[in-house]
Order: sequence, then C-alpha cells, then structure tokens
Amino acid sequence: MRRARFLAIAAVATLAMAACGGDSDDSPEGGESPDGNEEVTGGTVRLSMGDPGTLLPQDSNTFDNIRILDVLFSGLVRYDVETTEPYNYVAESITSDDNTTWTIKIKEGWTFHNGEPVDAAAFARAWNYAAYGPNAMANNYFFERIVGYDEMQAPDESSEPEAEELSGLRVVDDLTLEVELYEPFGSFAALLGYTGFYPMAQECLDDIEACATNPIGNGPFQADGSWQPEIGLTVTRWEDYLGDEQPTFESVEWTSYLGDDVSWPDFLAGDIDASEPPPAEWEAAMNDPELSERVISQNGTALTYLGFPQYDEKFTDVNLRRAFALAIDMETIVDTIVPGRYVAADSWVVPGGVPGGEAGTCEYCRFDPEEAERLLEEAGGWPAGDVLTITYGADPTSEAIFKAIGDQLKQNLGIDYQLDPTEDFFSRRSERDFAGGVFRNNWFPDYPLNENYLAPIYGNGPDGNHFAYHNADFEAKLADGDRASTLEEAVTHYQEAERILAEDLPTIPLTWTQSTTFYSDRLDNVVLNPFSGAIELRKLTVNS
Amino acid sequence: MGRYAARRLLQALLTLLLVIGLLHVLTTFTVQLNDSPARAFFGDRSPTASQLAAVEARYNLDDPCYDQVGNPCVGPFVERLGQYARGDFGEDFRGRAVTELVAVSAPNTLRLFAVVTITWLIMGLLLGSVAARYRGRAADHSIRFTSILIDAFPVFVMLLVYKYVVAVPVGTWMRDRFGSDSFLGLLFKPSFDSSYPWTTVIIPGILLGATGSAAFIRLVRASQLENYGADHVRAAKAKGMSSKRLIIFHILRNSSIPVATAVGFVFAEALSGAVITEGIMNIHGMGGLLWNSVRESVTPVVVGVVTLLAILVLVVNIVVDFAYAALDPRIRYG
Amino acid sequence: MAETMVTALRENTPADVPPGRSVWSEAFHSLRRRPSVVIAMLVAVLFVIVAAFPRLFTSADPGRCDIGRAKIKPQWFGGEHPFGTDLFGCDYYAQTIYGARPSLVLAFVVVGCSVLIGLTLGSLAGYYLGAVDAVISRLLEVFLVVPFLLAALLVLSMFRGVDLGNSQFMALLPPAIVLAMFGWISYTRYVRASTLETKNFQFVLAAKALGASDRRIIFRHILPNSIAPVTALIPTSIGGIIATEAVLSFLGIGVRPPAISWGIMIANGAEWARGGYPHLLLFPLGCLVATILAFVVLGDALRDALDPKLR
Repeated sequence: MRRARFLAIAAVATLAMAACGGDSDDSPEGGESPDGNEEVTGGTVRLSMGDPGTLLPQDSNTFDNIRILDVLFSGLVRYDVETTEPYNYVAESITSDDNTTWTIKIKEGWTFHNGEPVDAAAFARAWNYAAYGPNAMANNYFFERIVGYDEMQAPDESSEPEAEELSGLRVVDDLTLEVELYEPFGSFAALLGYTGFYPMAQECLDDIEACATNPIGNGPFQADGSWQPEIGLTVTRWEDYLGDEQPTFESVEWTSYLGDDVSWPDFLAGDIDASEPPPAEWEAAMNDPELSERVISQNGTALTYLGFPQYDEKFTDVNLRRAFALAIDMETIVDTIVPGRYVAADSWVVPGGVPGGEAGTCEYCRFDPEEAERLLEEAGGWPAGDVLTITYGADPTSEAIFKAIGDQLKQNLGIDYQLDPTEDFFSRRSERDFAGGVFRNNWFPDYPLNENYLAPIYGNGPDGNHFAYHNADFEAKLADGDRASTLEEAVTHYQEAERILAEDLPTIPLTWTQSTTFYSDRLDNVVLNPFSGAIELRKLTVNS
Repeated sequence: MGRYAARRLLQALLTLLLVIGLLHVLTTFTVQLNDSPARAFFGDRSPTASQLAAVEARYNLDDPCYDQVGNPCVGPFVERLGQYARGDFGEDFRGRAVTELVAVSAPNTLRLFAVVTITWLIMGLLLGSVAARYRGRAADHSIRFTSILIDAFPVFVMLLVYKYVVAVPVGTWMRDRFGSDSFLGLLFKPSFDSSYPWTTVIIPGILLGATGSAAFIRLVRASQLENYGADHVRAAKAKGMSSKRLIIFHILRNSSIPVATAVGFVFAEALSGAVITEGIMNIHGMGGLLWNSVRESVTPVVVGVVTLLAILVLVVNIVVDFAYAALDPRIRYG
Repeated sequence: MAETMVTALRENTPADVPPGRSVWSEAFHSLRRRPSVVIAMLVAVLFVIVAAFPRLFTSADPGRCDIGRAKIKPQWFGGEHPFGTDLFGCDYYAQTIYGARPSLVLAFVVVGCSVLIGLTLGSLAGYYLGAVDAVISRLLEVFLVVPFLLAALLVLSMFRGVDLGNSQFMALLPPAIVLAMFGWISYTRYVRASTLETKNFQFVLAAKALGASDRRIIFRHILPNSIAPVTALIPTSIGGIIATEAVLSFLGIGVRPPAISWGIMIANGAEWARGGYPHLLLFPLGCLVATILAFVVLGDALRDALDPKLR
C-alpha cells in the first residue's frame, strides 16, 4: 500500500530454465547438511525496516516484507546469490515432460515452526488462498498460468467466483503436487521460489489476520512475537531447522522507521548495523576512510523512463523526442542528486541482468546540448509560450530528479516546465491524460528475458500501450521472437526489436536502480540479494 | 454550577458532532476527487474491475457514494455515528481497531507532550516572570528577543540540526564516558528508542517545547505586569510583604490562570508539532499515525483518531473552565 | 458583504474616530522613539520591496539552473554566484531574492482574509450574542479542536486531483486557503471580546437610544474600536504564516517546485547543510528569521503601545 519499493518476481531465475525446458533435477544441491550444527558465534543483528504492511507471504510484494520473509520461510526453490540460478530447496524434484503438467516432489520431514508438516497440502492451501480473487492478495496474478485461475476470479463486481480452488492444482500424495498450466511455460520451476509460492500452515489459514503479523514459517529463523508496526520485529534462530544455511548468529532485530533516510544517524551512532546514507550525506560517507571501507553496492533491474504521449501531436516528431534525450545530462543528475541509489540508463533492457540485455542501445541517451538544439529546430521547435508538464507519482526523490530534468530542458532547449506530482498516476496514464507533457514510468521485470522489457510496454498496437506508440516492424520482430525455436534465436529477434525502439524513441530510459548498503564492523560476509538488494541474512556472519 | 455544567457539556457534544461531520465531508471529498486508494495496491499493473472491487471491499470503500463527486455520503456518516455511540471507532485496512492503534501510539505522544508542557511551563513562568519583574531593562529585552528568535526558527531545522549534527558526536562521547546504558549515554540517541521511552523523548520534547515557548513567555509576562499593577498586590507591597513572597503568592498564582487556559488550547496545536518531531526523531505516536493515515486515505483511522482527540481536548477545556473557579476566587458559577 | 465592509473600513480610518485618536497618535509617537522598532520597520520594508520588485536586486533568472554547476560555495559579491548555487545548480542569490515573494504574498493574502473574516464574525457574535454567537462559538471550537497540520493535509490532498494551472497565484491558492481556514480564529476572538466591551460604552448606548441602525452602530462605533487589538495582532501573524509556510514545504504539502519559496529552500537546505553545504540553509533561513523577527517585534511593540494598561 505504501510507497514502498515494489519488487516483482524479480528477475528471479535465469534463462537457463526457460532454455532447457524445465528439468531441474540437475540443479545444484547447495551442500545440504541436515544435521547442520554450525557454530553459533554471533549475537544480534540490528537492522532498520519500513512498514511492510503485512507479513503474509501471499500478500507480500515489497522490499520490506520480501526480505524479512526470506529468512522466515524457505521456498520450493531458492536462487544462487551469485549466479541467480534456481536450485531445489524444499522441493526434491520439479519435473515436466511437456512444460504444461508439472510434478513437484517435496522433501520429507520438513515442518513449520509450529510443528505442522510442510507437505503438498501446505502448498496447495497457500496457492489456493492467493489465487482466490476476493482475497485480494498482492501476489494473486502469479497464479494466472495455472488451470482454474480464471474460475477463481469474480466475473464482475457483484458476483462470486465459480470456484474456490485451482482445478489445475492436485495433491497426489503427502509429498507430491501436480500442477497443470494453461499453456506450456518452461520457466515455471524458476517462479516457485518467489514469496507468493511459500507454503501456509493450517493454523495460519484459520486466522489469517494473526498470521499477517506473526508468520508461521519454515525457515531458519522464527518470529519472536508479532511484528509491531510501531516498534519492529525480532526473529530468532530456529533450532530444529532442517535445511542448510544454518544461521551462525542468534537473532535479527528490525526496528521500525517511519520516514526514509532517518536511520543513518543511528547507524553512525552504532545503534543499527546497516544503513544507506541520505543523498546529502553521501559525499561525507564516501570520503570517510572508515565508513567507505564497509560499503557494498549492486545494480538492480528496475528501469525508470520518461514517456512521450504520442497521442499529443506535439510529440509525434522523432527529432523532438531525440532532442529531449540529448538535452538531459542524466549521469550528472544521478551523481549529484541520488548517488548510490540509481545509475544512469542507456538501454531499455537491463545490461547484463537478463539474456539479450546490453548497454548503450539507446544512442540518444547521451548529453549533447548542441545536437539537441539542432534537432529541436529541425523538428520545428517547441511552441512558444507552451509550458511542458512533467508528471510523476508523488514521492520526494522523484521530485528532485524531475526538477533537474526540467531544468535541463529549460536550459538546453529553452522549454519552460512545471512539475505535476499526481496521486492518480496510474489511472490517468491508462486514460491517456498526459497530453502536453512527459511522464515518469517505472518497470519492474516479471521474468528474466529481454522480451519482458519490451512486449508488455510497447507491444499490443497503438491502443495497447500508454504512449500511443506503434511500429509494425517492431511488432513483427517481437512476433519473430515469440515463434523462434531456440532461446538464443528469440533473444536475437527481441534485440532487433529493441534497436527499432532506439530509432523511434517512444520513451527515454533514465535510470536503473542501485542498492547501496553501509554496514558496521560487526558484520562479515555481507552479500546483497540479487533481487531485493537486501543483505543476504542466511550468508551473513556476525563478529562477537 | 449544575446548570452551567450541563450547558457546557451540551456545547461540547455539539462541537464534537461538528468535528466528526467536517472530517467526514473532507475525507469523503478527498476519496471522491482522487483515485481510489485501492488502486495504489496494484502499483504499475492495471487491475481488472473485479480485482479492484475485491480490494475496495477489503478497504471498506465499496459504498457507491464514493464514486459520486459532491455526494456527502450521509449513509456511511450515520452508520459511523452509530458505531461511535457504541464505542466502536472502526479499524484500519489491516483490521486493527482504531482504539488499539491509539492505545499503542498515544503513550509516546503523551510522553512527548509531558516534556513539552514542562518545558513550556518552566520557560514561560521562569523567563516570563523575570521579564515582568525587570520590565524595560536589559533582562526583559533580551528574554523577549531570544524567545522571538527561537519562535522564528522552524522547528524542523532545530530537530534536523540536532539529529544530524549534534546527536551523533555528543552521544558517542557520552557513551564512551558514561557507558552505553547510562542516562547520559541514552539521552543523546539520534532516534527514539522504544526500550527507553522516557529518556529518549526528553531532548525532542525540549526542542519542540522551546520553539513554542515564546507565546507562553509573552503570556506570563503580560499577565504578571497586569498583576503588578493590581490593587491587592500594591496593597500587599505597601504592607511590606517581601518581594519574593509577593511574586510567589500573588503574582505567580494569578498568572497561572491564563497559562492553564493556554495549555488547554495549544494541545491540538502541539499535535501539529508532534507530526514533525515524531517523523524526524522516529517516535511512533499519534502525529505519525494521523499523518500516514491521511496520506494513505485510511479514512476510518483519520476520523476515529481525531474524534478521540477532540473528546480529549474538549474534556481538557471543560476541566480548565472549572479549574478557573478553584484558581480564581472571583469567578463563581451560578 | 465583504466589499461593503472594506469600503466602510476605508471611510472610517481610525484617525477619524474620536475615541481612537489619542491612542493611535500616542502609539505612533512612542514607537518612533524605540530603535528596535525602527530597525524592525526597516527590515520589514526592505523585504516587502524585495518581494514586490525582485528585479531591483538581481538580474539573474532564478529558474535557470545548470546541474553541471551544482553546489558551488558562495562567491560573495563580485562573483557570478554571490550566494553560490544549490543542488540543481540554480543561482542561490536569485533564488533567495525571488523566494521572498511567495512567502510574503501568502502571508499578506492569508492575514487579509483572516482579518476580514475575523472582523465580520467577531463583531456579529459580540453584538448580537444569542444564536449567532452560539453558532460562531461552536465553529471556533471546532477549529481549535482539529490539529492544524492534519486539516492542512486533508484539504491539500483534496486539491491533488484538481488542475490549478501554472500561474504563481494559483500555486499559492491551496496553502492560502488552508492557512486562512485557521487564521481567522484569533481575530474573531479578539474582535468579539472588544465588541462585548464597546457595546456597553455610553456613546454606543446613546446611538442606540437615538435609533441608529445595527449596521450603522457596528460600522461607525464597534468596528473602529476593534481595530486596535486587531492591528497589534497582524504583524505577529504575518511572521507566523511565513514560518508555517516553511513547515508545509518541509512536509511536502506547501508551495511546490519549480516555484521558489524560502520554505522550499530551507526544507532542502536543511538536508544539505549537514552534508557540507551550510550556505544552502543559512541564506534562506537568515532571511526568514529576519523577516519573522521584524514582524513579531513590530507586533509586540504595537501591542504594548496600543494597550494602555501595559504602557
């Protein structure tokens, strides 16, 4: 609900999955040690948390709840921190012959913190709850591929759904699940480590509300009392944990912080173990020899980009759009205003993050004010006296970035601007209410393929996207990719589509997200989760 | 006295009704004029009508009147009044009762207010008395000037400078010297700590109290000046009463009446300061609760909490009214 | 109604009114002799001129910002950027000069509206008492009970979905409405109190006995006597509103960028000051504090001068 950082499934998963068509038997076992009595050397890790809203996995899709649930729950698969490759964790095996019907075998002996077994029924319980439309779970849409999903959504506002359970989800025996998909989907197994697919105890289903603040998980840590929005949450090591990654420290203590950036002085005072400096403190922090020794940074996969409403005639000339792109010195803006939180983008697909992603595909995403001025003139100039509106969803950091972008357009192209931080961003965008200005968009990928950065946003014809963009060649390339027989071939076609996008420039890529964390000298082996950007607590060690 | 009390109570009830009505209209129009808060739930994704309806139902926004701009939504209003009359103040989107939310956040805010009020009283009575006593002299001028200067300083600047510039080095030094669990070591924590709710609220409270104290200093000074000129004080002085006794028995006592009134009235105003202080110092209190509820359009919490607050302020005001009688023998209610 | 009242006020400048004359001229004489008042007056006038004619003080365009030249330290007079530049590379001196206008315009508009409402409601309540008074008193109490910032946020969030265009005045309108909503309270209370007092004066009773209409009595006798306490209140509340504007900006619900106001500059500057750029806070804060101080000193002095009991 809050202006939290939404994390979509996250580029979970590598394409390896999609490519080899889904037999994940050969995935790494991750060095399991059932007896796993590693030595507990550390005490408590103290971290800050925002307001996660809920701790019910099926309803959790923000940075704050995903990273907490990651230690309270263990999913069917987990993702390698370095390669991001999924490997079976609670699952014994996940197999399919046709990529449509999947058989999931669950390891024996796992239990929830309350002693209930983690069996096929525990997963079916969770998935049916999440897929049932009227429950309004944030992760509802992850189940749309499973047969029976459509019947679980209310056809209109006043009626009830036909079904209460996914007909395509069958409990074969205690430890075997069978899942039938509407269409073949090779990466299905890679989805299963995502928060929405965590199992649910019967005790939780009986009292969902209690469970949303006091989760009953199956992970290496268990909640030590309820999460209290005003105070925080403490989780302690679970002695009976069966999996590997036995924690080497006693507990994690999350303290609630109301505002952004307010935890930094507490970090400096030694009251918490990790934090990120507010932009104003960045310079001082990086220049501090002691602080800058313990900092870790990692690029994210979410793109912020500037959209042109081509339903407004002013923006139909490609040279005008190119002039805008050339007039914005994104690198300086990022370095000055939001260092450590974003990096300037020059492509539509995250470079290196997903197959087919490469840097520099946007040839106009560089700073060249003279060329910008020339192109604007070629386009017939900007209507005199016209004020450009820059619209974005309201949050303070955006405001600074977009003021700086407006300043650049004013300085380099002589265009006056005004800022419009609207609370109604999403509905206004769908209604195409942004004529006369440009608007901020964010994209969090759903699955790791360059196609996911292109087709959902610019495909579907002139009426199917927010920018009224249409190019038959672009769509033909996407279609070529969809029909391709191998992944490599598909990726190449999608890359060609991206190049067409670069020519047409319906949007300007602005920034990629970046996670930066400073940590105290008590912490060791600090690694960031490739998807959430949070400290990987299962790997962390604490000095006593 | 009985009739007066009854009338005062009736008036308070009427005010309460008006407050609830006003809040209801404001929150209703906000929902009507803007996007449904349910939409934010979906982030960048476009929900289908039934998905949106499911979330709206979860957030109690499914009454059709919320879609008609200008409709005052009388139905939900009457329903709400009925609930309040039964002592049910509604719940937030997570199903937590408003009374429970208040029970959790009120203590911290009350702690903050306690420190603020003490700061006001001490600074007001002390500096105000000194200023009045030495009226027109250097002490008077410098006290008034300083109080105005503090007043002109935005409270958030004070708090930010304290938190980011003062607290970390001073706190570290104190801890190294006196130990991290000592009073002084805890006093300068950059943020509120719920394990030490009193110690860590002192400095934020003093800073917030200091910025609001100018009005009190002025008030005390003015009312004492009036008293210095009053007949009974002049008479006492003529009889040879020492000036120390004079100040304590006549001047201070009489000037406490307007001060008590002011404390009652600035209560609601102090909550505004609490929003800022709680946000910066990370105190989980009523100010932050209200602020976030308004921003996220959690209507039941906004209306419920303000109604509870209104009841409190009205009660305080009534008590202050009756306290007059105790403090000032000239006032009698027939 | 408001219009007739303004005319009425103009016709009845305090100097014309017999009971007020001595108070006003004496007040003026006593004020003129106090150096603090003279200095405060000069400061206030200076900033009013700055707000009215910013071009007299700078030729730079405050909206011209080059991010490549961000966060330059003050170069003082003689350099291109006397006060340096801000986070966005805008000339900070020009920003400070142009930032005066929204703050002061807001203060004057709000105080103007508050005084009008206060005079109207206060004299009506005090003169007629009974039902009128009961209604107005309840209204007063309602606004005393609702916390200001909360109401501000509620009202301002109502305007979120409303397109107000991009003129400077319209950008100020939502905060102005909110501030005026709470500004009239103290005026109403003062005017009501002074009306209650004046009502029983001999000359009012005489006028009533002679058959003067209520309207005539209010305009010719009651209102002029309320002017003194109201005047004393005005400078102080101007100072208060300038300060409140800064708070609203800090919370992100006041005047919005790219419009410039001292409030926005202080809110952003407070963050960067601790990052090694104190000038970003000190220049606008200095101006803000100086202005508020000037108005409050004027208000205090005026109150002392107009209140015979304290003289």
